[in-house]
Amino acid sequence: MSAARALLQGLLDARLAARARGWLADAAAEVAGLAPGPAGRFPTLISLASRALPRGPLAPNADERGQAAAVLAGWNPERWSILDAGRAVLVLSRADLASEAGVAALEDCFRHADLGELVSLYRTLCLLPEPQRFAWRAGEGCRSSMRAVYEAAACDSPLPSRAFDDGAWRQLVIKAVFVGAPLWRVHGLDQRLDPELARMALDLVDERRAAGRRVQPELWLALGSHAGERGAAALERELAGDWAPGRAAAALGLARAGRLDPVRAALAREDDPLARAAMESALAGAHDQFSFAPLHGLE
Amino acid sequence: MRFFDPHIHMTSRTTDDLEAMARAGVRAIIEPAFWVGQPRTQAGSFVDYFASLVGWERFRAAQFGIAHYCAIGLNSKEANDERLAAEVLEIVPRFAFKEGVVAIGEIGYDEITPAEERAYVRQLELAREHEMVVMVHSPHRDKKRGIRRSIDVAREVGVPMQRLVIDHNNEETVQDVLEAGAWAAFTIYPHTKMGSERMVEIVRRHGPERLIVDSSADWGVSDPLSVPKTAQLMLERGIDPAWVERTTWQNALDAYAQSGQIDVEALTAAPRVDQRALYHDNSVLRGQAPRVDAAVPN
Ligand SMILES: [Zn+2]
Repeated sequence: MSAARALLQGLLDARLAARARGWLADAAAEVAGLAPGPAGRFPTLISLASRALPRGPLAPNADERGQAAAVLAGWNPERWSILDAGRAVLVLSRADLASEAGVAALEDCFRHADLGELVSLYRTLCLLPEPQRFAWRAGEGCRSSMRAVYEAAACDSPLPSRAFDDGAWRQLVIKAVFVGAPLWRVHGLDQRLDPELARMALDLVDERRAAGRRVQPELWLALGSHAGERGAAALERELAGDWAPGRAAAALGLARAGRLDPVRAALAREDDPLARAAMESALAGAHDQFSFAPLHGLE
Repeated sequence: MRFFDPHIHMTSRTTDDLEAMARAGVRAIIEPAFWVGQPRTQAGSFVDYFASLVGWERFRAAQFGIAHYCAIGLNSKEANDERLAAEVLEIVPRFAFKEGVVAIGEIGYDEITPAEERAYVRQLELAREHEMVVMVHSPHRDKKRGIRRSIDVAREVGVPMQRLVIDHNNEETVQDVLEAGAWAAFTIYPHTKMGSERMVEIVRRHGPERLIVDSSADWGVSDPLSVPKTAQLMLERGIDPAWVERTTWQNALDAYAQSGQIDVEALTAAPRVDQRALYHDNSVLRGQAPRVDAAVPN
């Protein structure tokens, strides 16, 4: 049994009533005994899980989240539902996951999935053996316009930053801003920024400004240390703007680009609490991707 | 007022429609699988179609504060392409038990052929085994005979009448359906067949018991606001508001909530559009222009 499966099973055991626990145990045993390859009862059980397991968040506590990170660095089940966890246990119960037959079985399941199933399946991909085999499939999730699906594929998982090629990775980052997903929750973002991604982000900044629209605060995350002169100018303009979340993000962005002087100057005249907090944090060296969390969803 | 339109093909409708529906008070809809105007030539087209009913269309409707449910089935027209039909009938069970699937449907007769009957019976059996509601499409030609036959066959297969909804009724067929103990749905067509005015008189004559009003709006000339418009006309013409509520909201809810797939409490609570709204309490559905905490006028 994989460590991830054991952990999820433990989390569920503590949360499920006897009847749901029994259903899951029976279903997992049935899955374990299936012949390799697509179809059979597997997709039906993945569907039926929605009727057998309770609604609601998994809500792992800090200790449990720590255990998850220990099983797989970058995996964070904080936003998982109980149903996601149950379905992941079913997927991880398959005996053929290491083989081509297992890949085909999952692909078949993806192609027949509903919205909730897509979310659960995408969340499970990083827990599979040799998850880079599912890079294309995860990329499909990141191409989705359904935000729940995008997030399940892109966020709280180490798979994209490890397995995506440069093109798919950069599309994922920019797309997060388009669908309004939390870019700060894309694992490994800070470790995989580059000048090309910064250029794409700055082109988008120009496009937004030309259209008279605000720049989403998290878009500045994509610059990192690759802002360059163009990025610095765009950030300073945002820092001088009349929108506090924009000033907050620009301060963090400038600090990420190693330009603290304009942030210091801005702090001296700032009175918005959100922007002040971000500026102080930026000056104190706390400007990694997680520092953008309070700015998510502000537009 | 709030409305439940239990038969509408959103695949063919635009976001303008969704916006207008939400504004008019449509809070919940059911999108039954039907034919898409042009015959499909391969089973894969059905896979993608069914998948859109349980995924994309649900997502789209949610953007406008409308709860989207669906019915899955092989329609009667395409049942006549028997090679294709055999493949599609294998696919139906893969989608029929997913979340938010409230019925097997729309199934039944079009030309009342043996091939249609075989597909109908197979799907009735599936519904009986899994205690599902059945949404029956009645034929436009030879309707009275078609409806009688759909009821008789459903009864022979063993589908309980309280789980049978016969759609596209008119003055000539309603009595048969009500006497059988099934639900009688009426599609309000803007120019032909059943109009709102006729519906008012049917409700006046038969009372609200087991009568359901729907739009069946699709890719043809049809009106996604048929249900609220008919409700308005009923009120104007002196139908008891409680009857209006039953025929445009409660009866559809009662019929399809038998599936266990409708969270009645959540649906009955005053909805608010939050395009960041939770999906299964974790992930979020949202479009490009989030509207948060906007009251839905229904
Ligand atoms: Zn229809």
